[in-house]
Amino acid sequence: MDQLLQHLLNGLLLGATYSLLGIGLTLVFGLMSVVNFAHGEFYTLGAYAAFAALTVASVHFFLAIPLAIVVGAAAGAVCERGLLRPLRGQSIDTVMLVMIGLWIAMQNAELLGWGGVAKSVPTPFPTQPLVLGPVSVAPLRVFVFVVSAALILGAHLLLARTKLGRAMRATFQDRETAALMGVSIERIHTVTFAFGAGLAAAAGALLGPVFLLYPSMGDLASLKAFSVVILGGLGNFAGAALGGLVLGVAEELGAGYVSSGYRDAVGFLMIVAVLLLRPSGLFARAERVG
Amino acid sequence: MTRAIRALSIALAVLFAVGAPAAWAQDTVKVGVIEPLSGPVAASGNYVRMGAEIARDWINGKGGVLGRKIELLIEDNKSDPKEAATAAEKLIVRDKVPVIMGAWGSSMTLAAMPKLAEYGVPMVVETSSAATITKQGNPWIFRISPPSEMEALGLQKYLKDFGIKQADFLAVNTDWGRGSVAAFGDLLKKSGGSVGTVEFMDQAATDMNAQITKVKAGSADTLFLTTSVEQITLVLKQAQEQRLTRKVITTGGSSSPSQLIKQAGAAAEGTYHILFFLPWFPEAMPDGKLAKAFVDEWAKRGHPFEGLTEGFRGHDGVLTAVEGVRLAGKADPKAVQEALWKVNVMGLNGPIKFEKDGPAGKESGQSKPSIFIVQVKDGKIALPAFAAKK
Amino acid sequence: MRAVALLLGLAAAATAPFWVWNPYHLHTLIMAGIFAVLALSLNLLLGYTGQLSLGHAAFFGIGAYATALLTVKLEWSPWIGLLAAVVLPGLAGWVIGRLALKLRGAYFVLLTISFAGCVSLVSVNWMDLTNGPLGLPGVPALEIALPGLPSLSLRTKVAFYYVVLVAVVLAYLVCLALIRSRVGRALVALRENETLAASVGIDGTHYLVLAAVVSAAMAGFGGGLYAHYTRFVSPEVFLFTYTVTMVIMVVAGGKGTLAGPVVGAVLFTVLPEALRAATSWQWQMLLYGILLVAVLFFMPQGIVPALRQLGSGVRRRASAS
Repeated sequence: MDQLLQHLLNGLLLGATYSLLGIGLTLVFGLMSVVNFAHGEFYTLGAYAAFAALTVASVHFFLAIPLAIVVGAAAGAVCERGLLRPLRGQSIDTVMLVMIGLWIAMQNAELLGWGGVAKSVPTPFPTQPLVLGPVSVAPLRVFVFVVSAALILGAHLLLARTKLGRAMRATFQDRETAALMGVSIERIHTVTFAFGAGLAAAAGALLGPVFLLYPSMGDLASLKAFSVVILGGLGNFAGAALGGLVLGVAEELGAGYVSSGYRDAVGFLMIVAVLLLRPSGLFARAERVG
Repeated sequence: MTRAIRALSIALAVLFAVGAPAAWAQDTVKVGVIEPLSGPVAASGNYVRMGAEIARDWINGKGGVLGRKIELLIEDNKSDPKEAATAAEKLIVRDKVPVIMGAWGSSMTLAAMPKLAEYGVPMVVETSSAATITKQGNPWIFRISPPSEMEALGLQKYLKDFGIKQADFLAVNTDWGRGSVAAFGDLLKKSGGSVGTVEFMDQAATDMNAQITKVKAGSADTLFLTTSVEQITLVLKQAQEQRLTRKVITTGGSSSPSQLIKQAGAAAEGTYHILFFLPWFPEAMPDGKLAKAFVDEWAKRGHPFEGLTEGFRGHDGVLTAVEGVRLAGKADPKAVQEALWKVNVMGLNGPIKFEKDGPAGKESGQSKPSIFIVQVKDGKIALPAFAAKK
Repeated sequence: MRAVALLLGLAAAATAPFWVWNPYHLHTLIMAGIFAVLALSLNLLLGYTGQLSLGHAAFFGIGAYATALLTVKLEWSPWIGLLAAVVLPGLAGWVIGRLALKLRGAYFVLLTISFAGCVSLVSVNWMDLTNGPLGLPGVPALEIALPGLPSLSLRTKVAFYYVVLVAVVLAYLVCLALIRSRVGRALVALRENETLAASVGIDGTHYLVLAAVVSAAMAGFGGGLYAHYTRFVSPEVFLFTYTVTMVIMVVAGGKGTLAGPVVGAVLFTVLPEALRAATSWQWQMLLYGILLVAVLFFMPQGIVPALRQLGSGVRRRASAS
């Protein structure tokens, strides 16, 4: 029983980070139809930005995270205006390939700039774990969970309650009408992409201290993000948030009770199952998938 | 189709132009180096490269070999066996190197091996640990790193001191990790111990909590850990988080304990590590002066201290390759291959001398490297009490 | 004029081993050929049905493993291995096609990624079957052994170059035949407007499955060739980078054309090698990424369509003057 509780706790903590990765991507992928293979690179960028702020500029830990979000969002905005806007209207595959090129370039630039040696991020949290009955957890991970939840909630509020959020949702529902109503389509695209990149960077800044920083850290993040997006349904914000938790718990239980070697297969099999049985996502209402 | 052919011809022309022999044809002895310089293990590959460069500069400082300077031709295998094979092909055919060092990972080395046999060029294997490498019947392979079985034998004399009754295994899901689990598991069983939980982790995985929870639920007294230093850091931190109290022994020589202490902090306390080079106690190495000089030179170049436990491989690999050229008397691959059997030189790890390994008539060369054990005590590296005596 | 150019080009390709004096360059051409087969196979799905398979490396890998396992573990003839390399991935393609049934677009993409991921994990973990991460070294070379005649080993580079050349031509012809047939027209109809196609009685799923089977079988064939050339198969054949490379070759070369994938394959096999020769290892991949973005930026439809536009533009101007 103890093992199960620990597995569940691990799964929830892991899942929260998957959720954070997923919601950024679901907006870009689901609403802009951009297969953003560079999503993981914004994650990495956020992690390195936080690291640079902490070690080079000696910024306080709790400031480094918002800083990383800003850097990520800015990079996203530049990317959107410089690469995606000129290619608007091109086939989805061409755009996807451009994002792949960006992925390769960004990762190797990071390798060139920071070197391949993994870096660890200093945190103000004690390393002694908190003991809650039969399970234990590091204070840092609780912090990450809380902040992730807050960010997800904040993003949801932004989308649902603000004028900007309404404009975003309107644009992706019906572009022409939104334009007729006075929404600047170009600006919305830039904002959406920056939003997604910023969330990815937040995930990187939060997870960097939990794990380690190295140039290829974004590859796994991209893969998990795509899985979460499918589980939750394309463009479905709440779905991605819940989907992340589901994936995290499923992986933990799979690795714990079935086989650790096939751990990632759990995610894949879930995707296959969802696609075959409920293609619009576990949490979606009816939606066209073809 | 016409355009395809046209484009093909243009591409061929480009290839032709680009592939023309280099303009500078200095009279150097070229040594090929194939390492993973990008991708997930870029750090390790680069450490080996740095060690190789120190060896090159030292050798050239003493006049080179056969009256000529040596030149390292460094290729990136991008952690991909296909690239390793292509890099070998390029080095052999285009650059005409008489000897190569590489290719770090066992799959990369195995992929390059057919090229070595095809063209008849020897390769000094500096890191790969898969047993199959020297058992394939490829007489162009000369390995200075220990296969997992040899590494396990190196632990044998300390087994009683460790007092292991049952051990769990947590290894990276590659040929190295699996080979290590098999070799150390066998050793344990032969010495009367038993194997507990065996778990694996994907090379890129960052969350090992599930595996650790399973290990914790068992009743073993020791945990053998085989993976890169980054994953060891994560495992130790997560093990600390789950309050796992076991004796931890890392294998494979890539655990870089200094980096572990820096990044895992208290979580690394008390852990044991099997290594092939001790940069903290260079005097304890078989050639203490050489080891100390290497550590100093490494620091002088501003390379990170943590990289020494892998960088020495590059040095010893180049040293061996060049010694082969020297004994051959000429930079000819076949002559170098025959000469490598006669090599008897002192490297940073210890004496390097090749013995026959593999099917009769087509043996590969395998040296018997020295194996060491250290422990992290009070945030510093120390020789465990029982090891210091020996 | 076109016929002359075509003949010259074919002659160049056919005699390449004699004037490409450097075996390393020949090696590059062989790899380009194998990737051309792979790119042509992916183009069937991507270019003609409009569905993207991002798990294509799975078919490539299954083909490679099929022939490697049969020739190493059971010691069967490599030709039977090649046959298995075509049939088994074809079966897998059929499964994917049928599973995909109603999936299109991004959903199909993710199904293929998941499939590839699962197959990759099996190859790493099922040690008894595939030897796991240790891989299968010692895959034999192809050889022609007809009764009564001495066996002709196709081990050498020159021999294998011709094998690959024949393979590329075969693959090209298969694609050509498929595209020109009723099936091809149905596929294009699917790509352009599936609802409309359905309204005239074209069963989208049936043709998608057919395309998937042929595409997978061809990719498997490429995998078999790869196995008998490099003679070592390990789980790295399932690496996502192989799929990415194939996609790059098809899209940058020009999807939906038949010349595009071939051009893309040659260009993007030669390019990394040229970078390897031209720059030190630190800059190779960074430059590769930048070049990829640049090619797509200036030629978003792909190289072959861009060249064709250029060609027709020149002809128009020439005829106007």
